[in-house]
Amino acid sequence: MRIRLEHVSKNYGALHAVEDVSLEIPSNEVYGVIGKSGAGKSTLVRLISLLERPDSGEIYYDDKRVDNLPKKELIQERRKIGMIFQNFNLFSSRTALENIEYPMEICHMDRKTSKKKANELLSLVGLEGRGDAPISTLSGGQKQRIAIARALAVDPNILFCDEATSALDPQTTRAILALIKEIQKKMNLTVVMITHQMEVVRDACTRVAVLDQGKIVERGDAREVFANPQTAVTKDFLFNISNMKNSIIRWSNEGGHYTLRFRGLKTQEPIISEVAKATGAVFNIRAAGVNIVSGEEHGIMILDIGPDAETAKSAVDKFEKLGVKVEEEMDGSV
Amino acid sequence: MAAFSRYWSLILNPFLQTLEMVFFSTLFAVILGLPIGVLLQITSPEDQGGIVPKRILNSVLSRVVNILRSFPFIILLIVIMPLSRVIVGTAIGTTAAIIPLSIAAAPFVARIIETALKEVDPGVVQAAKAMGSTNFQIIWKVLLPEALPSLISGITLTVINLIGYSAMAGAIGGGGLGDLAIRYGYQRFQSDVLFITVVIIILLVEVIQLIGNKLAAHVIAKR
Ligand SMILES: Nc1ncnc2c1ncn2[C@@H]1O[C@H](COP(=O)(O)OP(=O)(O)O)[C@@H](O)[C@H]1O
Ligand SMILES: [Mg+2]
Repeated sequence: MRIRLEHVSKNYGALHAVEDVSLEIPSNEVYGVIGKSGAGKSTLVRLISLLERPDSGEIYYDDKRVDNLPKKELIQERRKIGMIFQNFNLFSSRTALENIEYPMEICHMDRKTSKKKANELLSLVGLEGRGDAPISTLSGGQKQRIAIARALAVDPNILFCDEATSALDPQTTRAILALIKEIQKKMNLTVVMITHQMEVVRDACTRVAVLDQGKIVERGDAREVFANPQTAVTKDFLFNISNMKNSIIRWSNEGGHYTLRFRGLKTQEPIISEVAKATGAVFNIRAAGVNIVSGEEHGIMILDIGPDAETAKSAVDKFEKLGVKVEEEMDGSV
Repeated sequence: MAAFSRYWSLILNPFLQTLEMVFFSTLFAVILGLPIGVLLQITSPEDQGGIVPKRILNSVLSRVVNILRSFPFIILLIVIMPLSRVIVGTAIGTTAAIIPLSIAAAPFVARIIETALKEVDPGVVQAAKAMGSTNFQIIWKVLLPEALPSLISGITLTVINLIGYSAMAGAIGGGGLGDLAIRYGYQRFQSDVLFITVVIIILLVEVIQLIGNKLAAHVIAKR
């Protein structure tokens, strides 16, 4: 199911939690929305998932307008959506299996059918035989698996994930993301993945929108956005993922400070020595790293270029000719 | 042995009357208090977990409950006597005492239920809403079951309070252990009867507390 937002806004008093967001989420893929804490991600997902109504703007599922539905239809529409959360939000008063049965129960599906379906879902998420387990006896990863099974119980077209992996360790995060990707393919789901972790976008999303202070500041193909970040917020996320923040050592104040971004095969070419030979520039490499984004390698390198400003400039030109993105840091305070 | 059977015949009937008063007044207090408690919680502001916030209704209801709760029980007992006469045909006796006891305990039960429901994780309620639950389904399938251990503890406390109140009701002709203690212990100076009555009331409270704790622990252990 395709989702379309047109000029959607939501205020809490004087606070513009979501401001004039227009967004097109294509059918049948994993769409990431990344933003820092307080950026308005949860508010945005509550609006798209029909938990709250926007103050202005319109929301469409395929071509059906859904933001202004009357209460009864709203409830019917919500029953076609799956949603998972950071804190799992499972019912402690129910066993694992009974949790999965809940969405079918409230639609008055008969008990036998819903039990059978719940058991199938239990094995789909890899927890066969754990149906009778009380929720408190499950690990974080297992709880999220039950939550995923519960979300899928009504055969939804859309799955919303609000920080679904933020409470999990890196290994469990990868396993849950793999499960979501697998299910997305198997069930032709449109997945909206809300997160503050670039790793999640990197590992799971084909497209991404960057949210900052309630506004979308950047969007597009995840690889594009990673390779060629336009805004400070996005660069910040990329920087965090490379884990370089703490490893930077400043050697010199001459020659300028540059960030190079390589994509794909270029990470394997001897670009630095090529540029050195061609221009006579000398490099002081301060930090470097490689990321895999949606199956593609992304290199990042932070360096000083010397010996003088002129040589540095011709080196930058040469890099850009070779297809490397170069950013100059004006204040030098990384 | 003879002493025992004398006490036994003296105490058995008032003991059963106390049980009757406490059982039925708890039942009616819950029947009255439960909807009020649920209403108090669901109409509370959104940031306190209200699912259908209604500011004015909530504050009016809250005031009324507070006024009823601060009403001295002995006064309530007298005020409600005419009502008892209308409902059960008499203002005195065990059956008649059940009415003021239920009405006195209902606002307490309402608050206990409101507090228990407030403790339910708002995230869980949001999840239920996101799945398309109606408000009725949220109340019956989520709020009340999730709050069950707190509800059990709260109702245990209500029963214990009602044991105390029922002893007071005894003073105005409701029968029961309180009536026995006053008639024999206080008016006839039979301190042995007074003593045994007090011990039985203490034991009754202990047993109720024990059962309540066990029940709550049992529910929690299965989660
Ligand atoms: N129900 C609410 N009432 C008032 N303010 C809210 C509410 N929900 C969110 N906010 C505010 O809106 C902003 C965005 O919050 P949120 O959408 O939760 O951000 P994120 O999920 O990106 O961390 C924050 O400043 C938050 O305090
Ligand atoms: Mg959030």
